[in-house]
Amino acid sequence: MNSNNDHNLHQSQGHKKDDAHSHLPSDPELRVKAIETLLLSKGLIDSKTLDELIDTYENRIGPQNGAKVIAKAWVDENYKKRLLDDATAAIRELSYQGRQGENMVVVENTADIHNVVVCTLCSCYPWPVLGIPPTWYKSDEYRSRTVREPRKVLSEFGLNIDPKIEIKVWDSTAELRYLVLPIRPDGTENMSEEQLAELVTRNSMIGTGLPENSK
Amino acid sequence: MSRLHDMGGRYGDGPIPVPRNKNNQVENSEPTFKHEWHAKAWAITLAAGALGEWNLDVSRHYRECLPPKDYMNYSYYEKWLAGLTNLLVDKKLVSIEELKKFISLVQEDNSTEDLNENVKLDKRTWLAKDVQKTLGWGGPSLRKTDITPIHKIGDNVITLKYNPNENVIGGHTRLPSYAMGCEGKIFSYNGTHVFPDKNAHGIGENPLPLYTVEFKASELWGLAAENGNDKIYLDLWEPYLKIKA
Repeated sequence: MNSNNDHNLHQSQGHKKDDAHSHLPSDPELRVKAIETLLLSKGLIDSKTLDELIDTYENRIGPQNGAKVIAKAWVDENYKKRLLDDATAAIRELSYQGRQGENMVVVENTADIHNVVVCTLCSCYPWPVLGIPPTWYKSDEYRSRTVREPRKVLSEFGLNIDPKIEIKVWDSTAELRYLVLPIRPDGTENMSEEQLAELVTRNSMIGTGLPENSK
Repeated sequence: MSRLHDMGGRYGDGPIPVPRNKNNQVENSEPTFKHEWHAKAWAITLAAGALGEWNLDVSRHYRECLPPKDYMNYSYYEKWLAGLTNLLVDKKLVSIEELKKFISLVQEDNSTEDLNENVKLDKRTWLAKDVQKTLGWGGPSLRKTDITPIHKIGDNVITLKYNPNENVIGGHTRLPSYAMGCEGKIFSYNGTHVFPDKNAHGIGENPLPLYTVEFKASELWGLAAENGNDKIYLDLWEPYLKIKA
């Protein structure tokens, strides 16, 4: 670290009370409408683009993608090896890639290890395989507590981790995005990859849940 | 030293707002967006970002720079909207007068429809036909450089005990306060990535070695650790770390 450049430092004080955002109306719907109509009138956004974005993440990109990755890893040892070795490339084999999943890391749960993912600084989340994060993932409660008391946090999701099992918490502080590979449930030996994908819950891929049991 | 967004380890937060279904089971498939305005706020932020006037690190820093009172009072997408509004004005995409005019229009319930007729799109504007292509490419932060990383896997390191941003006081950083001044071990090396501490302030990408560093829960939390053997992993750039003497 170079400490001789202190004279070059400038302050990043944050915004003052009279900043642009302080003019916004208190009703958030009106705030959105004001900004949306303003940007539309200046031709800086196109409403068809907004529709396409929302439709993509409401209907095409979501945890159903990640579930297919997990199910494939459960039935195909070679794929699992590739997934743990270079997750970005292995996930791209299923055509999932891009925004907020440019550098993927898959962490594997075992009999001795349980993984859980958080972003304490904002809300980093692997969009191509899980979609847009749920409200609880973005909450102050999850962001503040998961790194300090993961076992208590997981118990609030109904997940009680044996004290003998080591917990690994992954705080997404850079642009690596984490996906948990949960343990394949017992009694699923005869199930197809498609059937297995149905058992993979979103929370099991974040680490705050387990896959559903075979019925 | 820190800002409110840097909340890892903080005391005082209550139970996680875990959604449950009628049978009191954890709900795994709530709607992507709870309200239409959430979806709009999110999509407008992405579309405005695509104009190319700022990067992801800049937009994160704008949210972090909201006054603490506002940061705490705003819901998630309200923070996005406030950060976006300040960016739009600071980057001169809209003026404060235009903003005030449109706020008045929507508050008085005046129709804004005719204002949006026959609009000529700006040449930077993100078109619907390009959405899938742009999303599929994303915005990778990995850069090829000839930099040799200082640390090796298994090396013991100590994180800086203050905000490591050496260009801007109180500037953007991705070293959380809860892991400052702590001893960890290099778990993996991830190549050279765009350095947010500089990129958030428009002073270049400056890609630098990025490591995943393993910390014992007992090192971070002392006696408060739930289980001393649990581990916490953070992705940290080289300037955040010192070699353990």
